[in-house]
Amino acid sequence: MNRRKFLVSTSMLTLAAGLGLATGRPARAGGTEAVFVLASSEVGAASQDPIRATLLSVVAMLVYDRLIEQDVDQSYHPHLAQSWETSADGKTWTFKLRQGVRFHDGEPFNAETIAWWIPKFKGSPNEYLVDAIERVEVVDEHSFRFVMKRADPNLIYNLASAFMGIPSPKSYDEAGDSYGVTVAVGTGPYRMESFSVGQETVLVANEEYSWGCDLSDNKAAPHIKRLTLREIPDASTAFLELKTGGVGMLLGVPSQFLPQLEADDNISFRSLPGMGVTYLGFNTRKEPFNDHSVRQATALAVDQAAIHKSVFNGVGLESHQFLISSLAESKIDPALEIHHDLAKANEILDTSGWQRGGDGIRTKDGKPLTIKLTAQSETSFKRTAEVVQAQLKAIGMDVEIVIFDNTSVVDQLKKGEHQLAVRHYDWNNADILDWFFSTTNIPYPNSTGWQGEKSQELRDIAMQQSKTPEERVVNFRKYQENLIANFLFAPIHEPVQNYAFNKTLLDVPEKLRGTQLVQASVVDIKVVD
Amino acid sequence: MTDRRTLAFLNAVSTFKGGISGAFLLLLVIAALLAPWLSPYPYDLQDLGVMNQAPSMTHLLGTDEFGRDVLSRMITGARTSLSVSITAIGISVVLGLVLGATCGYFGGTFDRIVMTVVDLTWSFPEILIALMLVAIIGPGLEGVVIAIAIAYLAQFTRLTRTQIMSLKSETYVEATVSLGAGHTHILFSHLLPNALAPVLVAAMLATGDAIILEATLGFFGLGAQPPTPSWGAMMSSGTAQLFIAPWVILLPGLAVALTVVFLNLFGDALIAALDVRTKLREA
Repeated sequence: MNRRKFLVSTSMLTLAAGLGLATGRPARAGGTEAVFVLASSEVGAASQDPIRATLLSVVAMLVYDRLIEQDVDQSYHPHLAQSWETSADGKTWTFKLRQGVRFHDGEPFNAETIAWWIPKFKGSPNEYLVDAIERVEVVDEHSFRFVMKRADPNLIYNLASAFMGIPSPKSYDEAGDSYGVTVAVGTGPYRMESFSVGQETVLVANEEYSWGCDLSDNKAAPHIKRLTLREIPDASTAFLELKTGGVGMLLGVPSQFLPQLEADDNISFRSLPGMGVTYLGFNTRKEPFNDHSVRQATALAVDQAAIHKSVFNGVGLESHQFLISSLAESKIDPALEIHHDLAKANEILDTSGWQRGGDGIRTKDGKPLTIKLTAQSETSFKRTAEVVQAQLKAIGMDVEIVIFDNTSVVDQLKKGEHQLAVRHYDWNNADILDWFFSTTNIPYPNSTGWQGEKSQELRDIAMQQSKTPEERVVNFRKYQENLIANFLFAPIHEPVQNYAFNKTLLDVPEKLRGTQLVQASVVDIKVVD
Repeated sequence: MTDRRTLAFLNAVSTFKGGISGAFLLLLVIAALLAPWLSPYPYDLQDLGVMNQAPSMTHLLGTDEFGRDVLSRMITGARTSLSVSITAIGISVVLGLVLGATCGYFGGTFDRIVMTVVDLTWSFPEILIALMLVAIIGPGLEGVVIAIAIAYLAQFTRLTRTQIMSLKSETYVEATVSLGAGHTHILFSHLLPNALAPVLVAAMLATGDAIILEATLGFFGLGAQPPTPSWGAMMSSGTAQLFIAPWVILLPGLAVALTVVFLNLFGDALIAALDVRTKLREA
């Protein structure tokens, strides 16, 4: 490129940027319109079909209603199911449905809908949600019964998940394979007007809505009449859009942006406790992490407090075990929790034969302790990787960071090519342990490749033999204690969920309800006049 | 021959813009060479107690998001930027000279094939070729060096070829031929030395572009891998705290801009000094 070309191209760019800003659509075209930006973890959802999709965005929470809703404290609240009871042996669940509920296509919602809906899961990726249900018995128009194959205290959690939003049988069957892409019909507070994968979804208020759940103040149609949900994968771009008024709200704000948000008078934010944990995952099938002592030393070398402070600006919580702290299953024996202990980490490597060389890097049998740390390209992952790199240097481990986009990272994990990876999950249930560590899930999502007989035995008990919620808690604690003793991961951090909005455009309730900013809170958000 | 070029170089330095830019580039090269001794702190030393601090007496250019000293990283970054771009352009120039001279001197089918490929790569912007190559080779400094070298190869090949073709028909070359000199002698003793000057000036200008290209690849996370600093990677990590710690992004940006401007100024001065015909006319 010669200089003239360079000058021409930069001035073209400047001009284009200028024009772009000048013609950018304002977020408040009408009095009751709003534009939200989806959280980066929800970007790229290919379908709004709750039965067959493996990734759903907040759109599914707004178009569909669920039988049960879950609150921020993990408690359960009635929605389309007005009440429910479980038999003593856990083998039958009886539900009473709310009356007068209609789908967007005018069809009535009743017990027959449920009898159609549950069998639809058969053969879908989400079949496990209803796997414990033998059959649905319709009692009368507004009540039904689940007859269970086995007791499953976790069914209530499944019923509150985004994947158990109830679609209209008529529209679902008519649309066939294109359901969820061209059309999505539920009973929720919003109808889907248009959906283009990876770009945006336009929702319009369902004016007939009068069955809001008790987590919301507003039980009727939502205040925002036309809601556009845009997908902007780059956090910096989304942040600038919020600052300039191009969008009203960001549904996910990385912690490193919080100081800048606080400095801006037009922007305010709300937080909810974390839904997930950031951690280091080992590949136990590859050297050197097939060695228990190397895994243990690495886990002990991670200084959660330093990462909490530097990468996450002191927002959120340090993690010392695998589950989010609001779950009862996370309260394991404190002696087993993984805490930073550099001296012990070095001692373990010393005694297991890893000798320090002149450059500070350890070797054993002529092999240097050099590893690759895989991370995805988002800022918080990259930064965590850089701090971990410096921390592992202190135990004589030479760490090379390799950065990929999220899809390539998952590809690498599936092939089992990684050694150590910075990972994050969002899930508010202890069965995430099964997802990431069960031998049945090797090579992915169980990218640790861990094959422990005892671990699997404890997993089977926790997943299949828990009869009551209390029993399930105890069983999952035992399962995690076993996994921790094998050092399959190094827990790092439990971020909070941050939502930022432009105060001049939106009025957001002080206290958010629900496990995430979903239906219960969105219907209460007002547009500022 | 050597004397004339040294003289031209001295002439270039003696002009005002040549002097200023030359001095800056000299300082930069010294800083890059002596980076480990000049840096006040190790470039990868994290101090989480002083994250994102503004420039002060302890940290002259402030600290970044891990409390690392920005000055030390800038100096080491200069080393990365200069070594990558100079190595890459060096490889590119040598390959370009060899390919261009062979094509220009011998012509024929080989010339046509090489030139078709060269024109093909020249029709894409360098950044596209470099991105594609790095994607194939994999992120890291070696990948970036190879990518930049190949991206600029077309330019030097074409330039050398044109020079050789016009020089080939000069009377002194014909005289050498009639005296019975071999191809190697003609190419290396008579043609290449005379074709070298414009290629060297083009190389100097291309080095500036290569620094931008290296910074761009670094910005995309494809260049130097952490914790090794490069100006582009420093700017990339600085975007997240643009408003609270602007020095983390602005200073490396300034360094890239100044280096490229001065490289171009120096290249201009060199063109003026090397151009014998202009000088004669002035005389």
